[in-house]
Amino acid sequence: MEKILCKESFAGWLAALKGYDLYAPAFADAVWNHARIEAGTTPELDHTNTVRSVKEFAFPQREVFFRFEQTKGGAPTLTATVPDPAPTVIFGVRPCDGRAMPRNDKVFAAEFKDPYYWARRDKLTLVGLACAEPHSPNCFCQALGGAPDAEEGLDILMTDLGDRYHVKGVTGRGIEIMVRGSDAFDEARAADKKQVQERHAAARAVGQRGVNDLGKIAEAIRQRFDDALWQDMARTCIGCGICTFLCPTCHCFDINDEVICQSPCSGERVRTWDNCQFADFTMHTSGHNPRHDLGARLRQRISHKFLYFVDNHGTQQCTGCGRCISECPVGIDIVRVLDTVSQP
Amino acid sequence: MVSIEELRACAAKLLDEGKVKAVIGYRRGSAGLLAEPCVIDQPADAESLIWDPGCVHNLALYLVKDKKAQAASKTPDKRPLAVVAKGCDSRAVAVLLQENFFKREDVVVIGVSCEGTGVVDARKLAAKLKGRTASQVEFDGADGFKVTIGNTESRVPASEILADRCLECRAPSPVLNDVLFGAAVEQRELATPFTAVKVAEAASEEERWASWEHHFDRCLRCFACRSVCPMCYCPECVVDSTSFVITAETSAEDKANRVRWCERSAGSGESALYHLTRAMHLAGRCVDCGECERVCPVNIPLRLLNTKLEMEAFEMFEYQAGRDVSQASLLSSFRDEDPNSFVR
Repeated sequence: MEKILCKESFAGWLAALKGYDLYAPAFADAVWNHARIEAGTTPELDHTNTVRSVKEFAFPQREVFFRFEQTKGGAPTLTATVPDPAPTVIFGVRPCDGRAMPRNDKVFAAEFKDPYYWARRDKLTLVGLACAEPHSPNCFCQALGGAPDAEEGLDILMTDLGDRYHVKGVTGRGIEIMVRGSDAFDEARAADKKQVQERHAAARAVGQRGVNDLGKIAEAIRQRFDDALWQDMARTCIGCGICTFLCPTCHCFDINDEVICQSPCSGERVRTWDNCQFADFTMHTSGHNPRHDLGARLRQRISHKFLYFVDNHGTQQCTGCGRCISECPVGIDIVRVLDTVSQP
Repeated sequence: MVSIEELRACAAKLLDEGKVKAVIGYRRGSAGLLAEPCVIDQPADAESLIWDPGCVHNLALYLVKDKKAQAASKTPDKRPLAVVAKGCDSRAVAVLLQENFFKREDVVVIGVSCEGTGVVDARKLAAKLKGRTASQVEFDGADGFKVTIGNTESRVPASEILADRCLECRAPSPVLNDVLFGAAVEQRELATPFTAVKVAEAASEEERWASWEHHFDRCLRCFACRSVCPMCYCPECVVDSTSFVITAETSAEDKANRVRWCERSAGSGESALYHLTRAMHLAGRCVDCGECERVCPVNIPLRLLNTKLEMEAFEMFEYQAGRDVSQASLLSSFRDEDPNSFVR
């Protein structure tokens, strides 16, 4: 389904989405992030990319698995807390973040269908916005098979045509919310479609950073597991969690019991984001740490994305959003790391 | 003006003569405008060293990291390290010396004076350029920067894109140094010290608490602020999820009974505990290098917490962290005239 949405009709579309929680990028505290919007407002969609990725709508930083309570001498009681969120629409999703979600879906459905992830994921409609140009000098989506107008993972792809948007329903879920707001849309004419193609072609033609020999990287990583280059590249790494927490595909987590009250003993079992760059990620109770230094942790981050994930799921676990490069406090650059690894 | 040729020659000579095992300095990064920290082992590699307003990092951090690495190594290399240090960075070295973290002969301080300016705040520059990306920023020799975008150059007054910490800097030239490049500027009047914290303090208690609750709620707990801080050198932090200091004598009971001060969940209460603990542990130790605030991916104004405590240290005890390496540290000294109204 392809439609045209005049920018002044945007509020009309949102007004038709009663019962949905709506989010759009907002610039607050000098950073872009997704924020709740009310039906009837008009999102500007003039953002670069959000600092926090869209993954948190299905995989929040904190998820309560269940509550527990036990009175002295009594049996423990457990209360299920599988979330039941309202259907949620997120506007302005960049194609790199869109492509991240099918990769996350693989993880949370591969051997075990994670009920918490899917309770949220199944309610999520991602409305993408094609990039007119790379919004950061560190964009490299095209090097990883993506594009500024990639539809993969998105339910709708919008393209800015100046005074109006071209809106393309990609999935049934996307078409459903277009149908709900059908009064706000006009038919897309042949001239509109031609203009969209031109915009997409122009955006693709803008130079981005490239990755050399993507097909050879998995094997190169395998061959160079014990190479000194990992130590060398991680020499200035400070071991913080920015690269993985901001990554749209990093999904490692920790599970803890958080005690709220001692008597009667009650609390919650929670899942929180974890981070392979932290020393405690692989710390054993004996004090031994198999990934004992930052070189080993950098190798793990790269190997997971470009070797293990390829082995397990047939695709890279990176979509080239560039967050880990732009936000790294010391300039560790995943594109340069890949080039170094693949160099003979 | 700092002569980069002389600085490179100095670094190469130190390595050539075997006086240091490595020189920690800045080189051109690939991730964007800012420089990146580098470790130079070979005299020939000293050619890659740079000095420009993108040299934001406090490299004293790497002295701490090296000290820890050598302590953990079975074959430690205890030769001295050389470090390129701005005024604030040299104060950090001074604090580490005061605290006996390492000895004076362990470090060669290659001082660089910020003279009339300092380093850029990348967020301020991005806002100033309305989304365009500068390719280079250089000192213009006076009190401004030369900003290059593509083929066009423009001159921007330092005060418009200078980091807040530099605006309020009390000692732009490294007081502690073995060699100094650039003029030993003692003071400059861009903004009075503690300007930002005084502005923030003018708000009511309720407003301030609401503001900090808002910021702590946004915290990702990536711990970049802690990881980048040369003063956060504890082997184990109150917010770590597990014990790092484990020896053969540590019993299972000791491990099991470790007090968990802070949950992993990134709620505002837990994050408040983290940031306030960190601020208190930096009282009288923070040299205002501003790195914690710079690296925060969600832009929490962390510098305000630290400068508030530095202001108290200054106003009550006339103490400035790292000003004088021969001075005893604030918390391990007293003077007869110290205010004692709080002693009962």
